[in-house]
Amino acid sequence: MAPDTDPRERASAARRPLGPRALAWMLGGAGIAVTLVAWSLLARALEGGGGVISRLPGPLLVAHDLAAYVTQDFARDLVSSLWVFAAGWLGGVVLATLTGLMLGRVAVLGNIFLPVVEAIRPVSSIAWVPLSIVWFGFGFTSKAFLVGLAVFLVVIVYAVDGCRRIPDDLARTAAMLGMNRRQRFRNLILPGTLVEVLIGARVSLMSGWGTVIVAELVAANSGLGAHLISVQQSYDVAAVVATMICFGVTGFAMNALFSAAEERLLPWRRIARADAHA
Amino acid sequence: MSTERTPAATGAQAGGALAFERIFHRYATASGTIDVLDDVSFAVAPGEVACVVGPSGCGKSTLLSLAAGLLRPARGTVRWDGAEVKLGPNSHLGMAFQQPGLFPWLNVRRNVAIGLTTRGNAKRDALRIADEFLDTVGLADFKDAYPNQLSGGMAQRVGIARALALRPRLLLLDEPFAAVDAFTRIKLQQEFKSLLKLNRPTVLFVTHDVSEAILLGDVIVVMSQRPAGVVRIIPVEREDRNRASPAYARKLAEALACLGVTGDADGG
Amino acid sequence: MSAPIVRAASGGRFLRNRVLLPLVGVLIVACAWEATLLVYQLPVIVLPAPLSVVQTLGELVVTASFWHDVGISLYEFGAGYALGVVGGVAVGMLMGESRYFRMTATPVIEAFRFIVPFAWIPLTILWFGTSFTGKILLVAYAVFFVMVVSTARAVAQVEPTLTRVGTMLGMGSVALALNVHLRAAAPGIASGARAAAAIGWIAVVAAEYIGASAGLGVLITNAASSLATATVIAGMIVIGVVGAGVSEAIRWLSRAYLDYR
Repeated sequence: MAPDTDPRERASAARRPLGPRALAWMLGGAGIAVTLVAWSLLARALEGGGGVISRLPGPLLVAHDLAAYVTQDFARDLVSSLWVFAAGWLGGVVLATLTGLMLGRVAVLGNIFLPVVEAIRPVSSIAWVPLSIVWFGFGFTSKAFLVGLAVFLVVIVYAVDGCRRIPDDLARTAAMLGMNRRQRFRNLILPGTLVEVLIGARVSLMSGWGTVIVAELVAANSGLGAHLISVQQSYDVAAVVATMICFGVTGFAMNALFSAAEERLLPWRRIARADAHA
Repeated sequence: MSTERTPAATGAQAGGALAFERIFHRYATASGTIDVLDDVSFAVAPGEVACVVGPSGCGKSTLLSLAAGLLRPARGTVRWDGAEVKLGPNSHLGMAFQQPGLFPWLNVRRNVAIGLTTRGNAKRDALRIADEFLDTVGLADFKDAYPNQLSGGMAQRVGIARALALRPRLLLLDEPFAAVDAFTRIKLQQEFKSLLKLNRPTVLFVTHDVSEAILLGDVIVVMSQRPAGVVRIIPVEREDRNRASPAYARKLAEALACLGVTGDADGG
Repeated sequence: MSAPIVRAASGGRFLRNRVLLPLVGVLIVACAWEATLLVYQLPVIVLPAPLSVVQTLGELVVTASFWHDVGISLYEFGAGYALGVVGGVAVGMLMGESRYFRMTATPVIEAFRFIVPFAWIPLTILWFGTSFTGKILLVAYAVFFVMVVSTARAVAQVEPTLTRVGTMLGMGSVALALNVHLRAAAPGIASGARAAAAIGWIAVVAAEYIGASAGLGVLITNAASSLATATVIAGMIVIGVVGAGVSEAIRWLSRAYLDYR
């Protein structure tokens, strides 16, 4: 039972008038404020032109553009991107679950095909973008394929693990209860796999979303990424930054939503934060 | 054991006076605060060995951290040589923790030496002194091993060697022989007593083993359950240390009685 | 989750499971590939024969301009990676050491964390055009955030006893941070470095797909526009090989110097 670690922290804790949470909010707010101020100053300083970063709009300009975008086209672009993302993600998860179950439970199949999967996995789905364009052109199929691929490659590892690693005590319970193969599968293997798949699906969210963005940036005809490219090509720096902020908020919202869903569905697991970017 | 002492390496004078004055302490957990020490007051005379015994989790380790300046007491004062113990590094003391706390990236020898180099000794001297003390605790053959290759008891001994090598005026030990087998423990206890004769530091020694406290301590401080207070301070005389003597049995019974253990093994 | 999912076996089974069957797997894939070509009569631009891809790869490897492109991509990656690691570890250590700094910086870092590196590509193109600087900064950005999070976490997980030991031995805050916390957190930082390398590498490739004048990504997009599919696939293989190579190199380094767990 070890008491506190940092003697200096303990000492100052005794003297601090504010509670730790209030302090966190204040300091955090200060941090954001400092960033915004620095941004404004930088924008002001660079206004004179010249130098590499010749155009940096201040926070107010960006906020103005952000408001304009959000009230106009944002919804349309967002839906387009989300549509592609959802289709690809769902497809990827389902395919990975089925494939994972097959490869994980049938040893021979696993030994044959898993090394192939392992070899392909390090190649990020983003590397596949040009190939996908050659195969499917621009458009929905191409992007959905890429997202599906990204998600598939992430989730399949979880699926295989989930259906292979059955906790010993659960297996023994099943044996004691005299479950036959079908019952074992339904009550033991399938739930275990699905739990792992859910976790993997959460991890794959960010890779999938990043893939959508890159796919749209390269082969843009609709969606958030397309919008980003179009404002970039019209040199509207404020709109570019505003769109980037939209990306961030969307990513954050997706992550938060999925975390909440996970908490609801799997309350007994300590969910480690997925810090796999893209 | 070598008795050569260079002035820089020794830096040892006899121990000073350690005093706990009306110590209250608590610490915060996720579910609220836990009161650990409740009005603890006692003093250890210079060169004295004070053994603290008490039930598990009663805050004995906290006393050591307070004496070492790793914590500041919620209320009350800890004094060394009359002055309040300051928070942070204190060069007059050496401490062996309950978890050995060896740096995994240093071998055993360097682990013992690093305290000496941090406190200003030359590297060569530090390594030499480290070797000496490792011989003393019986780990001469493991000088080049890394902590992940040691057993729990061995790691613990390295921690003790590290504290002793600092030749501190105040020595703080947290159940140092707990993880060691009975025979090694007896040997280490004997070595420990002879080591103390060299420098006569003041020692605060936490142990759960009452018989060990009688063997090693000049004074036994019996603590109660958490929030812990001092139940009794029992002085130990020379004849008490002879395990065959009735004096030993009486002292043991007295200490155990303070801890709430009475009667014989059959629960009578 | 980067651990291999192929199960280990022993002896004759090992030969069967780890060597023979995977080869069978590769063969099956290759045959299916060829079969698809034959059955569907797909034009070569859609799906080139596996041998054709291998041949193209061979041709590329002996071409000077190929290595020039790979070199450019590696240079952009390497410079950005170095910047990002140094900056990320420094800031991460600060966050681990000072709770005030951590509380101030966390919302800012979280805000930027959700703006995926790829979203920055158009902006870097606006600012830096297709030059190296833009890509280097992009990689540095991506790597920085991964390293800040991994370093801060690794420092937070350092065994508290080690800190107490350091203080007892006489180390002040700075000495503790450098001699104890940094060393103890090193394995965690190293695994963060591996993840950061993967992200940084793909960031370079993506940036080159979108707007660049030279580099591996440019080679691939050019091949895609001229429908030289075999080259595209060969390029993707190179991407995978380089990425895996960098990751393995980091793992090897960390095992050699940090294996004191």
